[in-house]
Amino acid sequence: MTTSVEPMIRLDKLTKHYPGQEAPAVDGVDLAVPEGEIVILVGPSGCGKTTTLEMINRLIEPSSGRIFLEGEDVTHVNADQLRRRMGYVIQQIGLFPHETIAQNIATVPRMLGWDDKRVNNRVDELLHLVGLDPGRYRNRYPKEMSGGQRQRVGVARAMAADPPVMLMDEPFGATDPITRERLQNEFLRIQEDIRKTIVFVTHDIDEAIKMGDRIAILAEGSRIAQYDTPETILTSPASGFVEQFLGSGILLKRLNLSRVEDVHVAIGEWPTIGPETTAEQARQQLQQSGRTHLLLLDGQRRPDRWIAEIDLNPDRDMSQAGTRVQACVDSRATLNDALQEMLLNANGVAAVVDRDGAYAGTLDLETIIAEIREMRAKALDNGSGVVVGDDT
Amino acid sequence: MTVSSYLERRWDVVLGLTIEHVIAVGIAVGLATLIGILLAIGTYRNDRAVAVLIVVINTLFTVPALAYFGALIVIVGLGWTAAITVLAIYALLPIVRNTLTGLREVDPAIVRAARGMGMSKLQILTRVELPLAYPVILSGLRVATVLIVGIAAIGSYVAGPGLGELIFSGLSSLGSVRAVPEIIIGTVAIVLVALVLDGLLAVLGRLSTPRGLR
Amino acid sequence: MTAVAVGSVDSRVVGRERKFLRRARYIGVPAAVATACVAMYLYVQSQELDSIESRIINARNIWTAAVEQIEIALWATALTLVVAVPLGIALTRPWARRVTPIIIAVANIGQGVPAIGLLFFIYIVLIRSGSTAAILGMAIYAVLPVLRGTMVGLQQVDRGVVKAARGMGMSKQSVLLRVEMPLAVPILLTGVRTALVLTVSTAVLAAFIGGGTFGELIISGQAQGRPLAVAVGSLGAAALAIMADWVGGIAEDLLRPKGL
Repeated sequence: MTTSVEPMIRLDKLTKHYPGQEAPAVDGVDLAVPEGEIVILVGPSGCGKTTTLEMINRLIEPSSGRIFLEGEDVTHVNADQLRRRMGYVIQQIGLFPHETIAQNIATVPRMLGWDDKRVNNRVDELLHLVGLDPGRYRNRYPKEMSGGQRQRVGVARAMAADPPVMLMDEPFGATDPITRERLQNEFLRIQEDIRKTIVFVTHDIDEAIKMGDRIAILAEGSRIAQYDTPETILTSPASGFVEQFLGSGILLKRLNLSRVEDVHVAIGEWPTIGPETTAEQARQQLQQSGRTHLLLLDGQRRPDRWIAEIDLNPDRDMSQAGTRVQACVDSRATLNDALQEMLLNANGVAAVVDRDGAYAGTLDLETIIAEIREMRAKALDNGSGVVVGDDT
Repeated sequence: MTVSSYLERRWDVVLGLTIEHVIAVGIAVGLATLIGILLAIGTYRNDRAVAVLIVVINTLFTVPALAYFGALIVIVGLGWTAAITVLAIYALLPIVRNTLTGLREVDPAIVRAARGMGMSKLQILTRVELPLAYPVILSGLRVATVLIVGIAAIGSYVAGPGLGELIFSGLSSLGSVRAVPEIIIGTVAIVLVALVLDGLLAVLGRLSTPRGLR
Repeated sequence: MTAVAVGSVDSRVVGRERKFLRRARYIGVPAAVATACVAMYLYVQSQELDSIESRIINARNIWTAAVEQIEIALWATALTLVVAVPLGIALTRPWARRVTPIIIAVANIGQGVPAIGLLFFIYIVLIRSGSTAAILGMAIYAVLPVLRGTMVGLQQVDRGVVKAARGMGMSKQSVLLRVEMPLAVPILLTGVRTALVLTVSTAVLAAFIGGGTFGELIISGQAQGRPLAVAVGSLGAAALAIMADWVGGIAEDLLRPKGL
């Protein structure tokens, strides 16, 4: 049924009018969610974003309007059946406390009548996917896990039956900032592989910019103030409302848009040595490169220490020389993350690592500044009236 | 004979028994409050003592009233003493438990602040913990009162005071025309006494609870 | 007479001494009951019973009394469960929102009805069989704790869990059976335990309407001026009620779903 033009989810004049309330909570929303994208619904509290989301899986029945899933009008189909085709993650997670992690994840597959073997394999596969060792965790109860782990299980449970669509309502909202960032990065990594169509509600514009392929900025009554890619929204906000909602520090927010992997990561600009390199070889390499430091990689090619010439002493163990590498960024980290790491490092360089933590190159301040210039130039080209950069 | 004609003829007896009933319940609740709060205060800082107290009082609470009355006939004989003693035993559980809950669930930060200002343990108890626990204690008192208004009916078996007399008299005159009216009047009057006392205590609670705790 | 089961409330109050409390309940309580019964047995053995006393205090009589009391209690509890659990479930469904407060109010007032008045009324007006009247009376009397246990148990289930379950496409019935009910079990069980203790304890009153039980020993002992018979009956009644609570407490601990 899926055609190339038909979006995965389409909302047509979707409205929710609660009896006894004057204004509709959701007022005629039209929205198309393309297949394989993350669409963020973001807006101030009370704008109706959660209501909109919950009408998609009909936890809230719309007063009027229609919902299309893969081109099929699902406004009046059996709601329970419909929900089994959509993963659902909420802020409270809502794991069943009386069931083990494996049983929790197996909920939808069991309802769909999968056999034991298929269910068990799927549970293990999903636990792996979200970075939890199945042997250790499948028989635990939710209360025996940390908040971040429970949230991972919540995501795994939503993906259990491999639904094409996932609905996420502030899924990382209840976690501390560090855990949240880790969960966000992990989720983006997973999404790279699974390419689900995701509708994601948040009130946090930074999260929206980081996670979204497209962002719908909602005003009261869930009216869409702007629906576009994060880049366009940041460079040319459609209205004063959007501008106000984006808030100050747009420039830094833009750094959230670009990922380390999108910009030029320099390979070979800094000399690297392995654990077996002798001090003499190292000295030669350093002199040839004309740099101040060289980078020591450990046995797994993970960045270990920054070593300056004066640290090179033939009598000393190389693995104790120089300073530990503080700043290491994942290639999926945003430039904003990278900038912060860089500021921690003495020589103003962040070591970039790949998925396995192995050295992939370096990123320096100049690269980031160049990126900012480019963004500004683009914004000016677009004729956007917003002045960016000067106030930050 | 109908309920109304019985009431017409013997309203004075019913009223007298009702007053007796209230008095007996009042004395029993008063006794239980005194003993219960003292027990709770004596134990609340010691987890183990609290555990023992709760097991003992809960067990006492489980014992059927008739068993108590049987035992008390042997010890103190028939009369008010036996009835009120038993009622007080039953009233003890809600009162002790609520007092303990109230005292032990006072926000530790408040107690720490009080200690930090140099208040003694006794001052903390009387000026901080008991006032904060007051609404909880009072609700225990309410539960206890409603509870023993009903149980008091059995007290008439040991010649105790109150409306139970009508109920027992109804049973013993089984077959006579006044059996059913007596049982109904006794039962309904007891329900009314419970409702009225519960309402009064609720009002008292609202009036006497400091505004900051409501 | 009336019982308010301890369980969860007290373990909160007791705090760190949960284990100690459990030990005291598991071992201390039956030990105390056994000691009292043995002491009574030895005392009775040491006495010369007259003919009336030996007619009341004998093994067969005591056995019958215990069986009668337990039977009344079990039937009454079963009857209560059959009525109160479904009613409690129904009253927590959204469509019952209007009637729920009314029924709760009625049940609360019902709590104030003296057991003995209810029992005698049923006996005289409805059922002229002591034990059947007692079963019905006790069942009515025990409805409130079970009803309240069911409702509170269901109402305290985390809304997020229910929402997640619905969001995954579980039907209302399967959310109720697979999520809400298991999560309501601990509080529901507390209500059932209360009902059980309440009925075992109140069943003694059946003796007034010829329903037997340990109350019979108390009443006939009292009527014939035999304090020893009264004492034996009282101890028997008390021991049964305390042990019912003991069993209920253990069942509560065992049946609690893992993970809670």
